[in-house]
Amino acid sequence: MTGKPTSKVRSGQSQAESVEAFSDADEARATGLLQILDEDGRTHGAVPALSAAELVRMYEGMLHGRLLDDHLATMQRQGRIGHTLDARGQEAGVIAAAHALGPDDYFVPALREASAALYRGLPLRTYLAQMLGNANDPAHGRQMPGQVGSRASRHVIGSSSVASQIPHATGLAWAARIRGERTVVVGFVGDGGTSEDDFQSGLNFAAVFKAPVVFVCQNNQWAISTPLSSQTVARSIAIKGLAFGVPSVRVDGNDILALYATIKEAVDRARAGRGPSFIEAVTYRLGAHGPTDDPSRYRDPAEAATWQGKDPLLRFGAWLHAKEILTVEAQSTTRQRIDDEIRAAIAAEETIGPPSTASLFDDVLAEPSWLLDQQRAEYLRARKQRRG
Amino acid sequence: MAYEFRLPDIGEGMAEGEIVRWLVKEGDELGQDQPMVEIMTDKATVEIAAPRAGRVLDRCFKEGARCPVGEVLVIIGTSDDDDRTPSPVAPTPGPTPPPAPVTSAPARKPETVLATPAVRKLAREMDVALTAVTGTGPGGQITADDVRTAKVSAGLVAPTPRPMVTGDVRIPFRGVRRKIAEHMLRTQREVAQFTYVEEVDVTELVELRNKAEARLVSHDVKLSYLPFFIRATVEALKKQPQLNAYLDEKAGEIVQRHEYHIGLAAQTPEGLMVPVIRHADRRSLLELAREVERLATCARTGHVSPSDLSGSTFTITSLGALGGLSATPIINYPEVAILAVHKIAKRPAVVDDKIVIREMMNLSLSVDHRMVDGHDAARFVAEIKASLETPGLLFLEST
Repeated sequence: MTGKPTSKVRSGQSQAESVEAFSDADEARATGLLQILDEDGRTHGAVPALSAAELVRMYEGMLHGRLLDDHLATMQRQGRIGHTLDARGQEAGVIAAAHALGPDDYFVPALREASAALYRGLPLRTYLAQMLGNANDPAHGRQMPGQVGSRASRHVIGSSSVASQIPHATGLAWAARIRGERTVVVGFVGDGGTSEDDFQSGLNFAAVFKAPVVFVCQNNQWAISTPLSSQTVARSIAIKGLAFGVPSVRVDGNDILALYATIKEAVDRARAGRGPSFIEAVTYRLGAHGPTDDPSRYRDPAEAATWQGKDPLLRFGAWLHAKEILTVEAQSTTRQRIDDEIRAAIAAEETIGPPSTASLFDDVLAEPSWLLDQQRAEYLRARKQRRG
Repeated sequence: MAYEFRLPDIGEGMAEGEIVRWLVKEGDELGQDQPMVEIMTDKATVEIAAPRAGRVLDRCFKEGARCPVGEVLVIIGTSDDDDRTPSPVAPTPGPTPPPAPVTSAPARKPETVLATPAVRKLAREMDVALTAVTGTGPGGQITADDVRTAKVSAGLVAPTPRPMVTGDVRIPFRGVRRKIAEHMLRTQREVAQFTYVEEVDVTELVELRNKAEARLVSHDVKLSYLPFFIRATVEALKKQPQLNAYLDEKAGEIVQRHEYHIGLAAQTPEGLMVPVIRHADRRSLLELAREVERLATCARTGHVSPSDLSGSTFTITSLGALGGLSATPIINYPEVAILAVHKIAKRPAVVDDKIVIREMMNLSLSVDHRMVDGHDAARFVAEIKASLETPGLLFLEST
């Protein structure tokens, strides 16, 4: 297959060829665990070709996500925001995918990938405005906090429907292919999401039509309180992809170098017209599922402690220090700088009040409508009367 | 200025939180975002950090106590706070407690009615004028409960309440229905009625009717069981005249009739009607059958003449195949008794110490105890039972 779209594609016909038979090596990739950067910060095998500036940027992206989540979690408990979705422990997969994409590519997040939007250009204050639901929020507080979207950054707005992102990513990718664009799409899903119908149909469709899409499963071991052992008895999550004829790899999800290498290869493959890939990132949700979840009720604290030792930030930081790309001292300075930025942005956005009630009538329909105009006028008249 | 930290809704619609553990003491200096307290909600135990730096002035709830959402949980004094007695109504500048961005105004009556469409609809249905209702919702909004409360307090009920619009069907209570009601009520009010139930073996009667029906094919008449019941009843009435009677209260006399006009309770599209077979004692079984048929047709088509509907001296009610096991029929005032005949069905019966299958039927007789005692009612039913069990007897005295 070539990457050049043909009229056959435009007419919506299948691109299916005879399904490639997968070799033992393919199966090994889907059930093994690819690792470049180990827990002690040492590398094994080929390190992806990334400049020092790129590596620092990736580190900062992960750290930014971590610190922001710390602040948001505290703010939620203080009643300053209503809800937050925590990605602590899973930052590597998010930033690796964000870094592997070009500016025209689409990112379709599952629940915990807002950092990718920030990494790809969404201003922090816009994100915080969305978390607060204040007047600066483009959606005027109508979207669930954390489910941010950005047209400019091609970050698709979040959906709480588990695994719905997979068919969406496939559809975006297929549309790009029909239009002859070189756009690639990354779609995220959780371990629980791979049990959904949408996962099956999305992967199958993408494979049959050779959609330029990369699926990344953040296997963080827990679908709220359902452990992976109750989620599937398959030998891995990645191996499910082979059933659809999709090249699939199981990767250490806390190893940003292995993740970047794998996702970049899959993105290049998709852009070359060779169809979708599926990547299982084996990671761990260090925090709770959400503000109303209490993992101590169902999770062994020893398990979380073990995973603390596999923290993606710690190992990346150790390696950057050892390679003298970013020393521990520089990391500390960076941390302080980012934390100050975040604090300042939060303080600034908290001074912005809620959206005006009259904005309720905005964005309901694309075009103005007499009915909404009338309702707005009626409301404004009533408000004026009330205020005397 | 002291800062009052009110417990926010940190779950999804939680009402209160239990204080599990205080992590700070009164007098402690707090750093911004320093953990203060562990709170248990319905779903999780969570740690709440200080929203601002300062000294802990007051921990408002003890460990184990429950703090409602929105109540002051802890008071934090800022550096320029020297006295330890903060004003309880201290305004909270800076980050506002978010769950209620609108300052919760006390209940008031705004000039313009604030109510959701659902509440407006409810008010219309309940005939409550929203302008007269005081809203207790946010910003003086009128809630559904406000409307219901207003409805209860008398002054707000509109002078001419319209019937509520509900899914119920409302049918005018008049005509035949009302007549039936008045008639039944009169019996219940003025008559001391009791009901006596008996079982009848009608195996022979069933055989007889089957044979007769075969013979009657050419006669263009359907022979039901009803003529037999009428005949048996008339014969019994002749022997028990106190059941074919009425009470003349003015004269202080019980009037025993020597005419036998048998009313037949019949269901018609307009309701219950009781067409009457006049002089039932003078008619053969076949004539009774023809008269039953005629009256039934008239009743069904609504062409019963008034003369067909009055003058009965005794009434029989039958629900045909539906006819159940027993009933407590209401006497057709001013008669003395009413007989309900139930469905004929094959049932096990004991004959000569053997259990055999017989055609069985029950009779329920309601009697006015003012004029007839239980003993006589039992004898009356026994007469009918004897006639129906040995239907040949019906011909002994027949006309």
